[in-house]
Amino acid sequence: MTLTAFPSPPPGADYDDLRQEVRAFLAKELADFPPEKRAESWNGYNRDFSRKLAQRGWVGMTFPKEYGGHARSALERYVVSEELLAAGAPVISHWIADRQSGPLILAKGTEDQKRAIVPRIAAGELCFCIGMSEPDSGSDLAATRTVATEVEGGFRVNGTKVWTTYAHVADYMILFCRTGKSDDRHGGMSQFLIDLKTTENIQISPIIDLGGEHHFNQVVFDNTFLPSDALLGQQGEGWSQVMSELAFERSGPERFLSSFALIEELIRLLRKDSTEAQQAEIGRLSAHLKVLRQMSRSVAGMLNEGENPALQAAIVKDLGALYEQDIPRLARSLLSRPAVPGGRDSYAAVLAYTELAVPSFSLRGGTREILRGIIARGLGLR
Amino acid sequence: MESMIFDTAERLFRDHVSHGLREDAAAGQCPEALWTRIEEAGLHMALVPEEAGGFGVPASEALGLVRIAGAHGLPLPLAETLIANAVLARAGLALSGGRLTIAEGDGLQLERRGGAVHASGHLTLVPFARWADRIVTIAALDGADHVLSLPVKDLTVTPARDLAGMPRDDVAVDLDLPGANAAALPVSMGGMRRLGALVRSLATTGAMETILKMSVEYANDRVQFGRPIGKFQAIQQYLATMAGETAASRTAAEMAADSYDTAAFALNVAAAKSRAGEAAETVGALAHQIHGAIGYTQEHALHHFTKRIWSWRDEFGTELDWTKELGRAALSSPHDTFWHFITDSTAQGAMA
Ligand SMILES: Cc1cc2nc3c(=O)[nH]c(=O)nc-3n(C[C@H](O)[C@H](O)[C@H](O)COP(=O)(O)OP(=O)(O)OC[C@H]3O[C@@H](n4cnc5c(N)ncnc54)[C@H](O)[C@@H]3O)c2cc1C
Repeated sequence: MTLTAFPSPPPGADYDDLRQEVRAFLAKELADFPPEKRAESWNGYNRDFSRKLAQRGWVGMTFPKEYGGHARSALERYVVSEELLAAGAPVISHWIADRQSGPLILAKGTEDQKRAIVPRIAAGELCFCIGMSEPDSGSDLAATRTVATEVEGGFRVNGTKVWTTYAHVADYMILFCRTGKSDDRHGGMSQFLIDLKTTENIQISPIIDLGGEHHFNQVVFDNTFLPSDALLGQQGEGWSQVMSELAFERSGPERFLSSFALIEELIRLLRKDSTEAQQAEIGRLSAHLKVLRQMSRSVAGMLNEGENPALQAAIVKDLGALYEQDIPRLARSLLSRPAVPGGRDSYAAVLAYTELAVPSFSLRGGTREILRGIIARGLGLR
Repeated sequence: MESMIFDTAERLFRDHVSHGLREDAAAGQCPEALWTRIEEAGLHMALVPEEAGGFGVPASEALGLVRIAGAHGLPLPLAETLIANAVLARAGLALSGGRLTIAEGDGLQLERRGGAVHASGHLTLVPFARWADRIVTIAALDGADHVLSLPVKDLTVTPARDLAGMPRDDVAVDLDLPGANAAALPVSMGGMRRLGALVRSLATTGAMETILKMSVEYANDRVQFGRPIGKFQAIQQYLATMAGETAASRTAAEMAADSYDTAAFALNVAAAKSRAGEAAETVGALAHQIHGAIGYTQEHALHHFTKRIWSWRDEFGTELDWTKELGRAALSSPHDTFWHFITDSTAQGAMA
């Protein structure tokens, strides 16, 4: 039963020197960064921070040197990623580009695209967003309606994308849309690399989330012209390209560390004094975290070997979301201390933020039900 | 080497561990002939270092045998014998051959009587005691851990059993042990409770892999409303949940096995035993739900596996015991943050 086997990451994957360097950097850069900001986890946006991180060589770590990268392993990148997340560093402005857009461009892009874009990602200068979901195409991505029609010199795009995280500040979008008809439900799709700063006739408007924050957006394409060299990868191969991104998107430590600021707050308080029942719950939380981390590192090891661990990634994301979603319940079961949005007590403020964040964890990046469907198929159900 | 020992074990168990053999064992009959084959293949010595007569397989691979035995519901003390021989070798005691078992020695008192060590007291719920030649246990003498090799013929064994019908006997001890059967344990390997917890985590994982496989097959074969029940999304979601829990358990158990004899072992075992026990709850319940009434019968093989994982949860420390230990370690650790504790593979727990 290979689906349940997560091979151990190779020995020496701790990279302790690197870890200590990152910790020292974060201790300095985030000295005054309060817990309630750390609670935003990888949703925190700070371009300067991303640039400084890049100056240390910690963005685009796995990219080849000729494209401004550092030719380091997926496991070294993993160490940096998890340290950033555990500290609640504001990473979103480079996160998506570093995690999936950069690797996608490197794998499928033209030489010109690689040279023009990848070094700037590695410099921490480019923020990417993902244009997949639409009003009538959420879990059912193949129901995409946005269409790019071939015209003289390029394409004209019409349609609407939604939930596009950070589109309002992003430099580029990778758009997934229809470019042709096909009998195969998954055929006739393509991906485009869109320069959001210069392309005309794209209207980006905010969607405010239930926490009152502006993270995601609606993006309307109204006869938007894209030059032919905006096409990313093969025309008509969009579906398989998107699928190969998913192992990167789904298996990382951001799939179980999103509530980590609350864990640290909780444990800080319990360290002073705890009952046996509280100790047992913290022990359970520790056991789960150790195991999730090992599973996620295992997937990083498989990615490093050039395998496609899409099924294992789905398992990590499903278990990870259950874990990070459960943290507010756990905290409330151990401490009688109300949530107060923006409260002066950092525990109360972090609890409030996290309670409002967790419902999204089993939606974004593929819902729980969809992930489980993928896992079930992988088990060999006929 | 790995694939050789794995292949041998897999073939041996596949050919010889049948539903009937498990039934007979649960009814009290020790599968002697199968044990002879296991000894002939040398599997029982796999965790013994080469210099002590083993064949030099890395510990993590030798321990992998326990997962395979669990996957077949092997009704014999192979895991116990592997650990017992490894502990005897570590203490420099003779490896006597035969079926061995292990027990936590908390219920024993040791005192020196002339050149011998006198041991008295009780051992409870000892796995397979009445089928074993010797019980290997660890107890304190002069403030230090001592390994004892107790010949079962000189003990009083009162039969008892676990949920799966496997022997879990009460043993009364009152005997003098010559120097050849008692020795100080030079470097602690973590004690019998921890070693037992390690092998139960691995066996639980193997049994759950079988339970998952049986459940997938059943979901493909059983037809209701004109189609296989595996076409229903509710059933698919159950199976996916079982796969996730089984994968987590396997990762946890293998992480512990990988850290055998290192500083990380103590807390990795705590994580593994509690995580596997928790997974057993979910996997057992969902497997029975998927199998319907047929899975609730003696005739169907499922119960041999679910009853084993339910029993193993309780042995060598329950989820509550191990999570308390891990939680105490996390809350009392000298690290600046919880994260530093989690990522420090050498972090030590406050011993229970
Ligand atoms: C915080 C956040 C950030 C996001 N960022 C982005 C982004 O940057 N770019 C982007 O493209 N998208 C983004 N998304 C969108 C996300 O990918 C979708 O929310 C997700 O794919 C689900 O689509 P939906 O919301 O339309 O729900 P639906 O697909 O309508 O699903 C509603 C419910 O029905 C269930 N369901 C649907 N189909 C099935 C089925 N076949 N079987 C069983 N149950 C089913 C779902 O699991 C869910 O419970 C983001 C979402 C969130 C919450």
